[in-house]
Amino acid sequence: MLTRRTFVQTVGVGAAGALTGSWIGARGREAGIWDLASSLDAAQATQVIPLSSNENPLGPGKVVLDAVQRAFGPAGATPGRYSSATGELRDALSKYLNVRPENLTLGCGSTQILRTATHVYTERTKALVGTIPTYEESAGYAAMLGRPVRAVALDRDFRMDLDKLADASRGAGMVFYCNPNNPVATYVGAQATRDFIARVHRISPETTILVDEAYFEYVTHADHATMIPVALEDPRVVVARTFSKAYGMAGMRLGFAVGHPDAIRKMSEWDSGSGTSSLNVLALHAGIAAIGQGTAFVDAERARNKAVRDFTVKWFADRGMKSTDSHTNFIFVNTGVPARQFRDGCAAKGVRVGRDFPPFENAWCRISLGTMEEMQRAVVVFGEVLGKAGVVAAA
Amino acid sequence: MSVTRRGLLTMFGASGAGPWGGSVDGLALAARGLEAETAESWQAGGRRGGTPAAGADPQPSIKLSSNENPMGPGKAVLDAIVGQFGEAGRYPFNSTPGEGKLIETIASLHKVKTNNVVLGAGSQEILKTAVWAFTNPSRHLVTASPTFENATNVARRMGHPVVEFNVDGQFRIDLEAMLTAVRGAGLVFVNNPNNPTATVHGGKTIADFVERVRRISPDTVILIDEAYHEYVTDPAYETAMPIALSTPNVFVARTFSKAHGMAGMRIGYAVGSTDTIKPLERFRMPFSISVFGVVAAIAALTDPKHIEAERARNTEVRTFTQKALEELGCRCTASQTNFLFANVGRTAAEFRTACAGQGIQVGRDFPPFQGSHARISLGTMEEMRKATAVFRDVLRPANAAGGGIV
Repeated sequence: MLTRRTFVQTVGVGAAGALTGSWIGARGREAGIWDLASSLDAAQATQVIPLSSNENPLGPGKVVLDAVQRAFGPAGATPGRYSSATGELRDALSKYLNVRPENLTLGCGSTQILRTATHVYTERTKALVGTIPTYEESAGYAAMLGRPVRAVALDRDFRMDLDKLADASRGAGMVFYCNPNNPVATYVGAQATRDFIARVHRISPETTILVDEAYFEYVTHADHATMIPVALEDPRVVVARTFSKAYGMAGMRLGFAVGHPDAIRKMSEWDSGSGTSSLNVLALHAGIAAIGQGTAFVDAERARNKAVRDFTVKWFADRGMKSTDSHTNFIFVNTGVPARQFRDGCAAKGVRVGRDFPPFENAWCRISLGTMEEMQRAVVVFGEVLGKAGVVAAA
Repeated sequence: MSVTRRGLLTMFGASGAGPWGGSVDGLALAARGLEAETAESWQAGGRRGGTPAAGADPQPSIKLSSNENPMGPGKAVLDAIVGQFGEAGRYPFNSTPGEGKLIETIASLHKVKTNNVVLGAGSQEILKTAVWAFTNPSRHLVTASPTFENATNVARRMGHPVVEFNVDGQFRIDLEAMLTAVRGAGLVFVNNPNNPTATVHGGKTIADFVERVRRISPDTVILIDEAYHEYVTDPAYETAMPIALSTPNVFVARTFSKAHGMAGMRIGYAVGSTDTIKPLERFRMPFSISVFGVVAAIAALTDPKHIEAERARNTEVRTFTQKALEELGCRCTASQTNFLFANVGRTAAEFRTACAGQGIQVGRDFPPFQGSHARISLGTMEEMRKATAVFRDVLRPANAAGGGIV
């Protein structure tokens, strides 16, 4: 078995294959630095399966890591230079997405994109609108700035409730539209999204819609399309993307926004760090290599993830536990027990699952998808924790 | 972030009052990092001019314009990065070692507690969040001119007032002058050593300045940016860390971009009392340091001999280059850094263009001295031998015509 630890020694000599997690921490996405400072070394040696942060369990792969190593430069001195590769990455991305470089701005993860968009598109009198729950970065940042935040409940299928969302958008600065939506995993089809955008702009012509497509590559919906073409034409629509999910580069901190040149300019003018001062040189070269793998890489990763997702959803369904309709690399499942109880039970057996997601923390848990092998081991733990190891409902 | 995502759910729907007020609305003006911009424009030139090495940032010429360490980070650091390849897919809060380990390493190096340390994507993030956190339209920034412009630019972009004081006759930050403007200030920025003038103030001078600022304006925060700390050889210099730890409203910024040779990795940090630096933690972008950056910085800090050797290497190159320039009649300020600020007797633009024509890239304009001074970053000894030959060529005709440079 190739652990991440041993991987280190084999990389560069052509090692391939799945990496298993030798992960130590139980850190939610929301963990504060003060907490992080406590050492976690004790758990280091154990084979924990990390299913808590919606990462790609395979990491970025050899092509990307080779590019990182090449980025050291012939004398190993390149990391000592302020990076000059942002233009190169923008060029690669613009070719890949068939957009112009001025349609793109880079970010230190999509975190920087979300923060910047929230910063420039909301005001003290212009609220941020989003669903509850959703990915919290934009709303957390807006709250920190003292900008009002309006929360809208999901529909019964845990999809974004477009009627309620549109109503709430009236006079808003920005709608945060996370599609697929983290943590509930559901996806709103492309046509419904286009209609929603048009409707918001009829009701509230000045409202910007930030379409966060972090999980875009994992969607298997029949009506699946990016909103990039809409954003290119409409300065009130911005699409956020990340290399942290399907591309397996969460540790490298790289994301980007695509939009109309006016929208992109507004964002890059605000954040002096946008695209340059906060982006590390290795991530830039990794991003170029990742894009260079073309659609074949994404297709294979989507298929791999879907097989794992189907397996995991079925395992729960067979035991009477319903999941939402996942189009991501995680599932949101009704285990019937409080998330905390399930999480603690799993953690005690070496499997880390997602944090609480109010208002569903009493019965629902977010479980990120590992490798198939990891999930086969994880479901054994889930069965033990839930007391449903042997229970299989009739198919 | 103290408004954590956890805390958010309770705030969702409520309009929390943040410390920024409306002050950051409606801003404009582009401002990417100047060094990065310079790097990008050279890359564009390099791409036009030829084929850059695949994967590596192209270095079309000798780059003496951004105060980088020409040696890069060294083998221990690069090995640590490769050793972290297996964690590339994990968020920095999930990786082993995580950010927390880096904070612990920094804390133990400076013999402080982990809550005396805040990380940033380069010290630029520290400076940026300091301006966000401590200045506002009625609490100004006090700074020097010329100095590292990051804080100045961020404040201007936000519409927060900036009061600048020219450096003194010896190109040192004019602390006496700054004292006249500290009353009611939000933030005082002291870059020690000072970029681009390369000069340093001694420990006693800084301590005295801090004490006087505290007397005049106890609520004013003082940021002492020690980006070039590791390069200082003046025995009078002392880090302000002990002052920061014992004095409210004082903190020190450090970076891995200079002596540690990791400008491309984007890692810096602040050290101060917990209460003082907490706002930096709040405004900080979460997980802005990559998993590679975390291990790189840890590896760098656990190799103090490497830094000593780097200081010695730089000092030797500095002495050599300064001597060569002064032989050409170009007086340099008393450099305590990895760059020189030299009176080249003509506009920086003229000198820069002439050098660029011979493959040597030197620093940009630094008003108010753009008419006479150039900032020249120090490369390797080999690079500086080549560069000084070019300087000789470029400077000689003017010297002959102008009868020497004062």
